[in-house]
Amino acid sequence: MYQGIGASAGIGIGKAVLIRQAELDWSGVVFQGAAAEKERLHKAIAAFIDKTNAMADAMRARVGEKQAEILTGQVLMVGDPFMSSQMEENIDRGLCAEAAVDGVCAMYIDMFSQVEDELTRQRASDVKDLRARLISILMGKESVDLASLPAGSILVAHDFTPSMTAGIQRQHVEAVVTEVGGVTSHSAILARTMELPAALSVPGIMSAVQDGDILVVDGGEGQVLVNPDPAVVQEYRERQARLAADKAALAAYRDRPTLTADGQTRELFCNIGSPKDTEKVLEATGEGIGLFRTEFLFMDRASLPTEEEQFEAYRQVAQAMGGREVIIRTLDVGGDKEIPYLGMEKEDNPFLGFRAIRYCLQRREMFTAQLRALLRASAYGKVKIMLPLVTCIEELRQTRVLLGQLKEELAAQDIPFDKDIKLGVMIETPAAALISDLLAREADFFSIGTNDLTQYTMAVDRGNSAVAYLYSPLQPAVLRSIRTIIRNGREAGIPVGMCGEAAADPLMIPLLIAFGLTEFSVSATSVLATRRAIASWSQSEAERLAEEVMALSDSDGIKAYLKAAVSKH
Amino acid sequence: MVSEKVTVINKMGFHMRPAGLFVAEMAKFKSAINIVFNGKNIDGKSIMNVMAACMKCGAEIEIQCTGEDEEAMLAKAVEMVKSGLGEA
Repeated sequence: MYQGIGASAGIGIGKAVLIRQAELDWSGVVFQGAAAEKERLHKAIAAFIDKTNAMADAMRARVGEKQAEILTGQVLMVGDPFMSSQMEENIDRGLCAEAAVDGVCAMYIDMFSQVEDELTRQRASDVKDLRARLISILMGKESVDLASLPAGSILVAHDFTPSMTAGIQRQHVEAVVTEVGGVTSHSAILARTMELPAALSVPGIMSAVQDGDILVVDGGEGQVLVNPDPAVVQEYRERQARLAADKAALAAYRDRPTLTADGQTRELFCNIGSPKDTEKVLEATGEGIGLFRTEFLFMDRASLPTEEEQFEAYRQVAQAMGGREVIIRTLDVGGDKEIPYLGMEKEDNPFLGFRAIRYCLQRREMFTAQLRALLRASAYGKVKIMLPLVTCIEELRQTRVLLGQLKEELAAQDIPFDKDIKLGVMIETPAAALISDLLAREADFFSIGTNDLTQYTMAVDRGNSAVAYLYSPLQPAVLRSIRTIIRNGREAGIPVGMCGEAAADPLMIPLLIAFGLTEFSVSATSVLATRRAIASWSQSEAERLAEEVMALSDSDGIKAYLKAAVSKH
Repeated sequence: MVSEKVTVINKMGFHMRPAGLFVAEMAKFKSAINIVFNGKNIDGKSIMNVMAACMKCGAEIEIQCTGEDEEAMLAKAVEMVKSGLGEA
């Protein structure tokens, strides 16, 4: 078995087709005089433009405007008058057109590769692609034709260039395997859009595989099997069929409300990290945003984002969600999340230190800008504000006072905002859980952050493999804590949600229903499975199960019991 | 020569699409356009050089136009940058 990076989930079974780039050795090309070489160059550029535009059209029709853009970008690049004049200068110095293209492109590849900005650095691969194709046109060598592959092909290549991925016919290709490239590369993104299984960065696969070999590709795990046993192939065929059946079954939950088996409504929201994620939420039929992490606005930059920039991002999400609830968490910096320009001091115990709400309350100007931006965005949708890492009630009170002042300020300036904007608390420390009855009197809502709550309750660093076995929300201590938080919230009449990974865990879902959780916030990819899991339990069934589970005293026992109950259910 | 200093305001700066729009507009003028950024000179009609210069949001640039229609060209260039290069 060969192991690479799982870049696009799914199982592909088929025959290997190795894609070898044509040798582009122009050392034998004879210079035919400057005028003739320039004519060849311009003809090749014109042919390149025609061909690339045609590929972009095909791409647009097949997968969409965004994917076509990379190709139209190459047309813009090859049409750069400055670049073609540099090539002409090379020709004037006595180089053939191939050498002129090679040299000038190499310079730009170098230039783009040295840029710090990742997006710009990716342009280097466009120039490489452009160079190879331009030279192959000049030398009369056709580049690889992917359009005429037989059905059931699995493409194996060193790398997939944008122009190659453009030629793939989905109905003939079962999977792709490459030696380089990561999950964020252009080919990975395209593979996911086309739902084409892909294993990338599989070392040495080009030399390990021959044309016609039978390959099994697990695009989720990034694994490639070469000429496996027929029995193994059969096993994967069955898994492939199960995955397809599962997907079809899940699709039935797209257009349904989220209801328990006895018809009680639950809210099913999503966690997002940036405004562009809202697309995925809507596509996945998420009903709101249960956690919008605002750290992205502060990261990968040299200074604090302005109120205006933040307002823009929050407004975008509020508007995109069209009046559905959007819970935005104020800056959760510190711990493992470092932002260099804030100049935070190194701490011996960052997870117990100056972070999240503690930090924000000390940095008034910064916090004020964020709260003002949130208030202003609340005029454009249903925005709620959530405070991270609360451990005592003063943190909530101080924020509420500040929020009140900012509201007056905005009102005086005639800037619109939601006067009834809700201010809630993320319950993720044992301290907050233990005073959740007190917090519930003053908070407008709770959201349980199970990742940190588990870490702090169990006093365990899940990154430390020696103690990671203790890290489980199924530990009785964590389950009791969750039950208490939900009960205290409900008794005070405020909604209680959960925005940790546990909200999508099929073993946790019946317990959460039993405890009375009102809102489940999960990743967009988990929406349908979570909706299905919620629909499979009635309140009374869930309560019966929870009663038995809460009487057990160890997490292994609880896990085994829940597994048996869920699979039997 | 006429010149003016402007700040790039769109989030992604001069990446592929905005840079493409910009050079396409500049190609319509006869004058030459030089952009000074971080002490470097960039040909404003060359998408490759404009992109490689990595002028992102917040970048302070000076646009210099030289030629028969320099005034009109500068006005157009400044307007495009100030309006966010076709992006919000």
